Amino acid sequence: MPFNADEVFEMAEQIERNGVKFYRDAAEKFPQVGELFNDLAEMEVKHEKTFAEMRKGLSGTQAEPIVFDPDGEAQMYLQVMADNHVFDPKADITAQLAGKDTPEAVLDMAIGLERDSIAFYVGIKEAVSRRAGKDKIDDIIKEEVGHVAILKRKLDSL
Amino acid sequence: MNVTLNALEIFEIAEQIEQNGARFYKRSAEIFGEPVICRIFLKLADWELKHKEIFSGMKKQYAESNPGSGASGPERTLQQAKTMAGLAVFGIKPNPSDELSGKEGKSDILRRAIEKEKDSIVFYSGLRDFAPAASAKEKIDEIIREELRHIIILNKVWQKTT
Repeated sequence: MPFNADEVFEMAEQIERNGVKFYRDAAEKFPQVGELFNDLAEMEVKHEKTFAEMRKGLSGTQAEPIVFDPDGEAQMYLQVMADNHVFDPKADITAQLAGKDTPEAVLDMAIGLERDSIAFYVGIKEAVSRRAGKDKIDDIIKEEVGHVAILKRKLDSL
Repeated sequence: MNVTLNALEIFEIAEQIEQNGARFYKRSAEIFGEPVICRIFLKLADWELKHKEIFSGMKKQYAESNPGSGASGPERTLQQAKTMAGLAVFGIKPNPSDELSGKEGKSDILRRAIEKEKDSIVFYSGLRDFAPAASAKEKIDEIIREELRHIIILNKVWQKTT
């Protein structure tokens, strides 16, 4: 069954919530990179709010598929990404972090998580109309790419 | 190593990503050995080489319209500089076909293929900012859509083989 706009934005909010928890837990576990992780957590909180506002702005269209997608490709892509659990609301971030014993390992993991969220948002961008906030998603993608640069810079400095 | 790229280098990396992608799929076809899946991998390799040609054209167009955009060319905005640094993480990778020894399992090859497609989608999403014209941006969008399709295809193969 295809996702509707409301569900797609809900998944995006969940990705951001997972990101916030990941960065806050990581900050607590590795105080030497705590400031950076807390800053990134704050940025993800802003993204979550942006997606929540976009979701609120969908009045009346929530149950509808979002754009003309005759072959269902945007939907199929989102399904594949969803099956890969990028937005898993039950994701046990604490357990994922338990296997990471160094700041370097956590920074590597963070880069991977940012990459997966960007790949998912590219799919969302394909699936939503301009009216539903395509441009805002573009801005968030750029910011997430910026996060990757910050994480890589930190990784290189350790 | 902290890497910052200029716009021309970003287009060169896009070409390299496609070249590497084609090599990866050709090597995967050899390893898989199943005719139906080999044909799919070889088709994916062909598509990646077509993308490489498109990026070569864009790089040429960018160089012609921005004569000062070589190694010493300025980065235009802070956001672009951040994007360039972020893209470096996903663009500069060893030749992925060298990663395949031939002993990998099918699911491992498919997992790697999907990871590489995701890397390229992220890279091209940043690359859009450096498109020399609106038409080039549309072409990059089309390539991104095709890479999304590749992930769907790979996922179908995964479901059939694992």
